[in-house]
Amino acid sequence: MKKREKLTDSAAFDLRYTHLDDGPALRSWLEAAHMLDWFPMSTPIEVDNALQVWLGFCRLNSSLTATYEGSPCAVGTLFLMPYRKVAHHCLFKIIVAPEFQRRGIGTAILRNLKHLAKNFFHLELMHIEFFTGNPIEALLKKERFREFARQEHFVKQGDRYWGRILMECDL
Amino acid sequence: MNISVRFTEPEDAPHLNNWFLQPDVLHYFPMDNVREVEDAVRVWMCCVPLQAGLTASADGLPCGMATLYVSSYEKLRHQSLFSIIVDEKFRGKGVGTELIRSLKKLAIEKFNLEILHLEVYEGNPAIRLYLREGFVKYGRQAHFIKEQPGKYRAKLYMQMRLK
Repeated sequence: MKKREKLTDSAAFDLRYTHLDDGPALRSWLEAAHMLDWFPMSTPIEVDNALQVWLGFCRLNSSLTATYEGSPCAVGTLFLMPYRKVAHHCLFKIIVAPEFQRRGIGTAILRNLKHLAKNFFHLELMHIEFFTGNPIEALLKKERFREFARQEHFVKQGDRYWGRILMECDL
Repeated sequence: MNISVRFTEPEDAPHLNNWFLQPDVLHYFPMDNVREVEDAVRVWMCCVPLQAGLTASADGLPCGMATLYVSSYEKLRHQSLFSIIVDEKFRGKGVGTELIRSLKKLAIEKFNLEILHLEVYEGNPAIRLYLREGFVKYGRQAHFIKEQPGKYRAKLYMQMRLK
């Protein structure tokens, strides 16, 4: 897939904490064609439940929204851990609106999430899990993430299976 | 000792709470204090209405529990994470083996699962049981638990195919 013009150097690009009001934008990206191929949800109820958990992290200021010309175009969220012994690391998720993909926005939001995780939450590591074939793998490798687990047949749709890959990065 | 296995019931929760708080048990779980244990027990007991949890009893007294965390997502419903715990007084007496074998049967017959997987912390003696029962390691997260500054315990990821 050809890389398009980078938007993150533009004055129209910005980053802020995620608001609950970003929910409709996030939902519309998840509902776009093929987006749910990369997420565990597959029905409207599952999307509703996932959004409720995802947006719950707004209240902790652990989620960032990228905007272009004032409208949300990506969200990246640190899913902070609830238990003290594991609070030095966290899972994170990133989603970029389909029309804004391959324009440097994923890289920008990932780097800012790392900064937030390290400097605000004092985390030591961040990790992510994604399904095999997800194009985010190339970005993660570029950003020095390393694979620590790979589980075959994790996802099943009809007769087809996909694996899941877990990667982490030191902060 | 006569070991029997039945579905977990709400009345089993205090036993689970007590087993978590036995000496050294929390070395091998992510929880660290009474409040976190209460939270973990609440999550575990979500298995009750689904009949996804099993309780082992020795001569009628609960001595161990295992539960499937059946996914709420359709795409992931062919596999399940599970947890198991055995009262320290009953370890080494076959309770864990009986629970795992019963859980595999439940996974296949009731939930039509294809894969069972687990997360275990390095050094946990239960790893021997998992290997003996056919689980295979597929990942290791080195710094998962921070026991004190500079001292970590790894999490191992293991799974087995049921079909």
